[in-house]
Amino acid sequence: MSTVIVVVVAVLALVGLVFSVSGAVGILRMPDVYCRIQCSSKTITMGALPALVALVVGEGFESAYAARALIVAALLLTVNPAASHALARAAYRAGVPMWDGAVRDDVKAMKAAEAEDADHRHGDRPEDRREGEHDD
Amino acid sequence: MINIDQLYFAVAIAEACVALLLLPRIARGPSVSDRIVALNTASTQAALAVLFYAAGADRAIYLDVAIWLVSFSYLGAIVWARFLERGLI
Repeated sequence: MSTVIVVVVAVLALVGLVFSVSGAVGILRMPDVYCRIQCSSKTITMGALPALVALVVGEGFESAYAARALIVAALLLTVNPAASHALARAAYRAGVPMWDGAVRDDVKAMKAAEAEDADHRHGDRPEDRREGEHDD
Repeated sequence: MINIDQLYFAVAIAEACVALLLLPRIARGPSVSDRIVALNTASTQAALAVLFYAAGADRAIYLDVAIWLVSFSYLGAIVWARFLERGLI
């Protein structure tokens, strides 16, 4: 194993570790769930992918380790945004409060505008009831 | 010159320490969502630690553990999100 490869692996793994540690500190110290979700997805994208690339570089592209590392990278890249989005939406719908310093809530503004609009028309078109508003 | 296996072990230990760093948030997250977020991140770090440990110890059979950890942590996150949204928890 040549020295160059070791240095490249060390640098890539160090980049990944720095991002992982900063994301973990962010999850510990951020004020509400939504900020923590943002930290978590940044951590995974920028913290895990350099480490996986380090593994690919260190073990060679055709080894079993590199293949598994690439599978894990593809899984993380596809499923992580979906899971973060689902968690954020579920947290909002479950009524988890925002931080006191948060300045905008676009969903609340949109819901208020829709309610005002429905008040004007007053139920003459019942198919306007949106999905997700009924009670089950 | 540093051996590359030692480097892999060092990275594995560091990633496991990052996962341990997230445990306070899992223990006292104010809401369930906080705990799920922290648990997801911790299990991704654990999967990375397993990958690097497998590369350092030359045991390719441990690699599947990492793949299962990653995929099931996200399936779990989506299921928890579903339950939260329906209000069962």
